[in-house]
Amino acid sequence: MSGRLHRPQRWAWFLERPGYLLFMARELTGFFVAGYLVVLLVTLGRLGGGETAFAEWLQTLSTPGWTVAHAVALAASVWHSVTWFAAVPQAMPIQLGEKRLPAPLAAVVMGYGPWLTVTTIIVWGVLR
Amino acid sequence: MPAEQTMTLEIFRYHPETDSEPRFQAYEVPYDEDWVVLDAINWIKDHVDGTLTHRWSCRMGVCGSCGMMVNGDPKLTCAAFLKDYYPRPVKVEPLVNFPVERDLVVSLDGFMEKLEAVKPYIIRDDVNDTSGGEYLQSPAELARYKQYSMCINCMLCYAACPVAGHEDEFLGPAALALGHRYNRDSRDRGRAERLDVMLAGEAIWGCTFVGECTAVCPKHVDPAGAIQQAKAVAAQEYFRRFAMPRGAKDAGA
Amino acid sequence: MKRSSEAFWWALFSAGGVMAALFVPAFVIVTGFLLPSGDAAAAAERAAGFAGVVGRWPVRVVLFGVIALSFFHCGHRIRHTLMDLGLRRFSGPLKLPCYGGALAGTVWAAMLLWAL
Repeated sequence: MSGRLHRPQRWAWFLERPGYLLFMARELTGFFVAGYLVVLLVTLGRLGGGETAFAEWLQTLSTPGWTVAHAVALAASVWHSVTWFAAVPQAMPIQLGEKRLPAPLAAVVMGYGPWLTVTTIIVWGVLR
Repeated sequence: MPAEQTMTLEIFRYHPETDSEPRFQAYEVPYDEDWVVLDAINWIKDHVDGTLTHRWSCRMGVCGSCGMMVNGDPKLTCAAFLKDYYPRPVKVEPLVNFPVERDLVVSLDGFMEKLEAVKPYIIRDDVNDTSGGEYLQSPAELARYKQYSMCINCMLCYAACPVAGHEDEFLGPAALALGHRYNRDSRDRGRAERLDVMLAGEAIWGCTFVGECTAVCPKHVDPAGAIQQAKAVAAQEYFRRFAMPRGAKDAGA
Repeated sequence: MKRSSEAFWWALFSAGGVMAALFVPAFVIVTGFLLPSGDAAAAAERAAGFAGVVGRWPVRVVLFGVIALSFFHCGHRIRHTLMDLGLRRFSGPLKLPCYGGALAGTVWAAMLLWAL
């Protein structure tokens, strides 16, 4: 049959469903996390450059522009964590006999619990 | 309550022998709060316009043939109640991401090929050998795949999937979930054969876990979860074959 | 259809996704907010503490793993986002900037952490 009608997908398909927008928000965290990692490497580089260089760099990072940039990076990385932990029970279900570990519990066991632990250890390790 | 409440259905029309472009046609239908969109379409077909073409069969969410876009959402029209839209008009279109044959009917060809590609049946050499009795399965073994066996092939998940809309190699949610269902069946020995198909090209890797397939699935199959699990299985298989290139195919399941 | 290397990149993406989810928010809190805050004396004290922590080898190894895998996570995610946004026919060429960038970040991280 040659009369079939093909309806090509529009470029802006991600505007068509709220779920698509949430998906794009999740995917875009990739750009922000990568950007932050570059800044982190610069920070580590300045640390290797000696006390003065590091102190100067921290002075730069304390300016409002960098604070806003880090707030954006924090929001993006937290969104990555939240969406990742939401996906874990779907992608790695834990079967217990005929039952599955309920998704909220699995998200806590495999996501939020370790996250809280790691975050606490890191912040404590630096502040102590 | 006034007896003659009505509402409007705007229906996608396309007849390949006369139309070069699709168009929308508005129909007034009686409003009944017990009616679903499919009832209204059937009423139009019976009372107003016999040329309107659509697919349907069971009217109870089992056959999977009445899937259409209702106000942009992929829905089984037998489960989409008019009262959830009334009094606003309802726009009915054929499922997106499929070629349209006529009006609300889409072509199933590509979908059928993808279903077949994952070999959705139990594969084992002794399948005709009944001397050992039944192939027993414990409730826990059944639970490993049961959810993924509930698919009714309604294709709503393909209409919800943006990747299915632009990547032909991608096998799509229902087919991949079905392949995963057989890979998880304790009676099956065909996992290596299926993974050959799934590891190729964009067959499974096209999926970026948008997750809308699971959101629209009327049978709670969770194809998105099944695909991520299948990716993990496929990745393990990839590294196993990489480590042991020879004889890798012999070690199934 | 040929067997694709996507399985390899996806495995790195997956491992990096776990690492980024667990570690990166805490990293941002530390380097973006805790270290640059406060008066000069307090900042100097915190900077010295940070240098002491990062100077330890186990910490450097963890940092390297997290940074390298997170870079590959981001590279894969960015590549597939661009493919979903219409660059699907460039899926091959996109590997160069996406995974090449991740590799560059990995090498850079290794050099910095080794030299600390």
